[in-house]
Order: sequence, then structure tokens, then C-alpha cells
Amino acid sequence: MAGGSDAVESTTLSCAKCGKPAPLQCPKCVELKLPREGAAFCSQDCFKASWSSHKSVHSKSISSSAPVNPGEQNAASENEGWQYCLRKGQARSPKLPHFDWTGQLKPYPISKRRPIPAHIDQPDWALDGIPKIEPNSDLQHHVEIKAPDQIEKMRETCRIAREVLDAAARVIRPGITTDEIDAVVHEATIAAGGYPSPLNYHFFPKSCCTSVNEVICHGIPDARKLEDGDIVNVDVTVYYKGVHGDLNETFFVGNVDEASQRLVQCTYECLEKAIAAVKPGVRFREIGEIINRHSSMSGFSVVKSYCGHGIGELFHCAPNIPHYARNKAVGVMKAGQTFTIEPMINGGVWRDRMWPDGWTAVTADGKRSAQFEHTLLVTDTGVEVLTARLPTSPNVFPWLNP
Amino acid sequence: MEPEDDEEPPLAVAIDDVVEHEIPPVGVTVITGYLGAGKSTLVNYILNGQHGKRIAVILNEFGEEIGVERAMINEGEGGALVEEWVELANGCICCTVKHSLVQALEQLVQRKERLDHILLETTGLANPAPLASVLWLDDQLEADVTLDSIITVVDAKNLHYQLKSHNDSSSFPEAYYQIAFADVVILNKVDLVSSDDSGAPLEDLEKEIYNINALASIIRSVRCQVDLSKILNCRAYNATHATHLEALLQENKKLSTRDLHDSSVRTLCICEPKEVDFDKVRTWIEEIIWDKKYGMDVYRCKGVLSVVNSDKLHTLQAVRELYEIVPTRKWKDGENRINKIVFIGRLLNEEILMDSLRACTLPFGYFQEDLEFDRM
Repeated sequence: MAGGSDAVESTTLSCAKCGKPAPLQCPKCVELKLPREGAAFCSQDCFKASWSSHKSVHSKSISSSAPVNPGEQNAASENEGWQYCLRKGQARSPKLPHFDWTGQLKPYPISKRRPIPAHIDQPDWALDGIPKIEPNSDLQHHVEIKAPDQIEKMRETCRIAREVLDAAARVIRPGITTDEIDAVVHEATIAAGGYPSPLNYHFFPKSCCTSVNEVICHGIPDARKLEDGDIVNVDVTVYYKGVHGDLNETFFVGNVDEASQRLVQCTYECLEKAIAAVKPGVRFREIGEIINRHSSMSGFSVVKSYCGHGIGELFHCAPNIPHYARNKAVGVMKAGQTFTIEPMINGGVWRDRMWPDGWTAVTADGKRSAQFEHTLLVTDTGVEVLTARLPTSPNVFPWLNP
Repeated sequence: MEPEDDEEPPLAVAIDDVVEHEIPPVGVTVITGYLGAGKSTLVNYILNGQHGKRIAVILNEFGEEIGVERAMINEGEGGALVEEWVELANGCICCTVKHSLVQALEQLVQRKERLDHILLETTGLANPAPLASVLWLDDQLEADVTLDSIITVVDAKNLHYQLKSHNDSSSFPEAYYQIAFADVVILNKVDLVSSDDSGAPLEDLEKEIYNINALASIIRSVRCQVDLSKILNCRAYNATHATHLEALLQENKKLSTRDLHDSSVRTLCICEPKEVDFDKVRTWIEEIIWDKKYGMDVYRCKGVLSVVNSDKLHTLQAVRELYEIVPTRKWKDGENRINKIVFIGRLLNEEILMDSLRACTLPFGYFQEDLEFDRM
């Protein structure tokens, strides 16, 4: 292809059984054109040893088995009718769907939909899952310059979103489920008088996204307990006084290995450097160059399927801001614009795949991914980070300590 | 029941043996044109022809409301036609980089054994530019599909009237957009013109098309029976595709077309022998296509650039607001290094474009008077 990628791509596959470098792969997977990741082996012996569990990926039928580790924590979920999410949230299933999971993580059942009090102002998708105003708006084609009163509303809503995320950050610990984190986000949002924008947005079943380890983004809160050593991103968007505020952070659960710490810190820095460049006259496409440069230096790659976006009265609108280099994003920044930058950085390859639920994006090679996001306002001289950390924000990022 | 429920695994294969060629992305051709011009005839000709290629045709019958497209693919024994459904993913289109149509086309490519090409037939589409924008993806995405070209089928018998009838009004008929954005124009039903006195002769029709878009190649046809090698694999949006560059560099006949009416769509070609500053020329093109500086309405733009401090020829390509400048091959020894840019659009002003491009050649700090001194 014209123009090589600057992103460093890891192409060495590890044996699915023992982790050693893997020069062999399953011929049936080749025949069925299934991905190599997870189907590579160092030797015929490891392949043979894995055969009974590996061959299930060839089968086209829905697996009838329970989650692979039946001893794990599912007691509560089974009792209360929790089910697996399918078709973007439009359907549920009592059985784990079939998929060639790229890493260790698999979905768990999700809880019932949380109610919203009647007095809360709701966006048009809250009722039937389908945004109507957003896809047809002119704001998909032109970047809005916000009036001062709108900007003031954005400040207020973004501050609420920050406080909601901080509340989630405070409960992160081994043993808590992502569903419990979602409950915290949901309750904190409605207590502030806001609506959690993700809830029922194109049928998304929960009030925030929780993305663990190899999940890149849009993970659905479920019954899985966080484990010591996990990393988890919580993505919060609040709708209040007619505008949205969007931010996310990646947190450490217990003691996290050094490679994950480097990944998370690098991702934080990518966003920091991108924000430092924001001011009137800067091209939107420049953001991708900055993020790509910094992540490649550490040997990481940039996710290309998801991008930063304009935000305001609409959840997602123009501009589109890719995080990779050599993109054709249109336009330059102008004072009064509000948008997000939300780089997703992977420890391995940049490619992503999607789970059967239709939302969860995972790394194609099962390695970890981290993300950070802010909602930004372009000012006359630079930028205002509307979702910035507060003095009260919990101290969870070691590199921020002097 | 799965027949291979063995206890014994097969022999694992070495990954190098699995011939993992980088499969080039499948080209997508957008076929547009007035109703009755012959789009369906062209599509059927391609699907039923004995050319040995596996081609999928996406029939844009339903639009995005229903969320599916019908595709006909010529595969199977003797090129039999197979019907497929392509589902457009609903949902979070606004924070994903690839439009749902692109994702659907990629899924089609991944599902099929081998697809050589995809045709996107656009029923009743007025302006192919939005579709081109959706399909003209960043190379970085390494997508399974790539925009190959836009082909417009025009009806030789009716074209003259279709264009003429709107010359006085300020609204522009589909024909202008479809021709302006075309890489290939198939002038169909030529048999009806040669045998009919009332239509304009073919040469005049070709001139009218050429006046609008001097870059497009024009192919005459009867019942759309065209040589497939001329319309598939055009790689019109591939920055490094050599043929287009060479043609542009060697093009001796004047590409600029006469300005018939102020508001007509026409083609303009400008040249500048001095090397241009890369940053200045980026700002220059952005001001024209993003800010609409000078009030010009540029539809398409294609050019070669000679850039200061670079031994590489750069290509410039733009469709509406999307543009890219890409370094390609090295200038050959003795080759005439020149900037040559073709614009297709309305309200184009040659003098302003020449002067503003020339301003990109001045090193920072020089004034207009210095330029005049140079000329003496």
C-alpha cells in the first residue's frame, strides 16, 4: 500500500498454549479463514494438547457450554435473570455466544436496565434506542462555533461528568464488578440531575462503557469481577441542560505489571501532547500525527477505527478527529469549537475486532489497550480542558505525583 | 453435524507456507448516470460477460432506510449469478472512522472466496461526491476495499438537451455533477445518434463533456458494450498510480476549457515552473477548498507538484473538501520539474489561481517587487 504505517506492528505470534514464539498454525483455521491470533502454536505437541478446546472455533453452532471457568463468580447473575448481550443490545441470550476470543476476556451476563427518574431531561434515543436528531443534523457537516451561553452550559455539564468519573474511580478495586461501577455512574449522574448519554444510545444497554485489558472501547458493564492486575477504562458521558460532556480514564486494579503501566502512562501522555497543540488555526489532522509519533516511540500502536468527535447538543458530530497519522481530516480549529480527543493505544497490533454483542471492540491479538479522553474548548489563544481533573479528583495516576 | 469431530488434530502448518500475500484491496467503481442512460445495461453486460472476473454489483435500491443492500455476484459454474444481501450496520456512525457502507463492503469481501471488483450502482443519485468522500479512505486504514473510479453513463441522444436546458438557470442538473466527478464517461447509445438527424453529432457531445471535465476519458458505446480493461482497475484515487501522473506531465494540449458561462462547470489547468513551498501550498489548497476563498466552487482537483527541498514528485488530489498531497517517485534526471494542477468546478478564475500559486513559490520575506525584479 502507498505510504507505510508509522505505527510499530508486532507480527510475532505467541503459542496459544505455552506462549513461546509460534511458527505453526491450525490448517483448519487457514481453510476457514479464521484469524491466526489464538490459532498459532510452537509445535505439533502444543497444538495436539490444545486441540480439544481449540477445535470449537471451527464449529458454526452456538456453544452450549457455560462460561469457560464455571467456578467463577456468577451466582448473583444466574439468580436474577442476567443474560448475555447480543445485537448491539437489542437482544439477550442465556448462553455465552460463540466467538474466537482474542484474549483471556469473555463477556459475562449483564443486569437489567436501570431506571431513570421522570424529572430528568432525556435525549431522543432514551425511549426507543434510535437517535433521530443527531444523524440528520447539519452539525454532522459543519463544525459549530458555540455561543458564550452554550459554552457555559458545556462547562457545567463537563464538570458534572468529571465528578461522575471520579466517583467511579474511587470504587475501582479487585473484586468489584463492572456492573457495580456502572451502578455508581448511573446513580451519580441522576443524582446530579443528568442523563447518562450512553444508556440506550443505539440500544447500548448500560450507562457507561467499561473496557478491561484487551478491550479497546465500548465494553459493556457486566457480572465479571475486576482482578488484581487488570486495567480498566471507564468512559462517562453526561447529558445535562441540553448538552453532553464526555471523558474517560484508564485505571489500575490492584498491582499492575510494568508493561501495562507503561502503556497507560504513554496513552495519557499522547492525549496530553495532543491537547497542548490545540489552538485556533491548527489542522484537525495534526492531532493524529502527534499521537502517532509519541506512541510509536514506545513501540505501541494506535487504534484506527474510532476517532475523536465534535460534541455539544449532539453526542457525536463534526469534526471527526482520527488519532492515526496521514489522515484526511477536514478543517482547522477555531475558537468556540468543542470536541473530544480520545486516543486508544495498543500494546500489540493496531487492528481491532468486534465481539458478538456488537459493541465491544477488542485488540485483534489479545494484547492490552488503554485510552484517555477529554472534552475540549478551543479558546482565542489555546484550549480549555472542560473535563479537567479537579483538586478533589482521586490520586490514581502515579506519574502525576511529584 | 460437523464431519470433522476427530479426537486427533490435523498436522499444523508452518505459517510461512500459508501463502499470505498481501491481498490488494478490492476496487470499488461507482456507476452513476441519468435514468435510462444505460447504467443497468452496463451492469448486466459486466455481470454476464465472459471475462473470468468475479464481480459483485451492489444495487442501491433501498437506500439506507431499510439497512440492507442487494448484491449480485457472478460466481459459481459458468459465471452464474448469485444473490447476496449486504447489511448496513446501524449505529454509532459518528465516532467510527469507516462509514457503514464501507464496513458492509468489507464484510462482503471477507465472506467471499475471491472478489476481483465491486460495482456500486447508484439509482437516481444526483451527486456522486458524497459517495466518493465515504469511499476514499485513508491508506493507513488498510481497508479491504478502495475507491477505483467514478463512471458516468450518459445518453448520447438526450445529453445535449439535458445540459442545455439548465444553462440559464442557477440550479445544476445531475448531468453536470455526474460528468464533473467522473473519471470515465461512457457515451452510450451512439447508434441512435448517428442515425438520427435531430441529435447533435458525437464530436460536439464529446466536446461538451470535455468542456466540463477535461480529465475524464470518454468511451463511445452501443448498449454499453465496452472494453472492461478500460473501466476496471483505473486506480483513479491511488496517489502513486503512475499512468495518471505521466499523462498529466506530458499533456501538451491545453486542458483549460473555454468559459462558456460564468456559472458553468469547466476545467482549468495552471502551471508554475518554480518549486513551491510545501506548507504554503497546503494552506493554498485548503483556503480554496475549505474556506472557499476567492468564491470558487471546486469539485475535483488533480495535479503534480514540484516541492522545495524535495527530490520527489508530489501528487495532489481533491474531491470537494477531501484532499491529500503525497510524495511519490523521484524526479528523473533531466525531467522538467514543474507544478501542473487541473481544477474542475464553477467560478474558476485562472488569474487568481496562477497568482496565488505563484505566491507559494516565494521564500518567506520576499515582496512582490522582488518578483518583478526577477522578471527583468
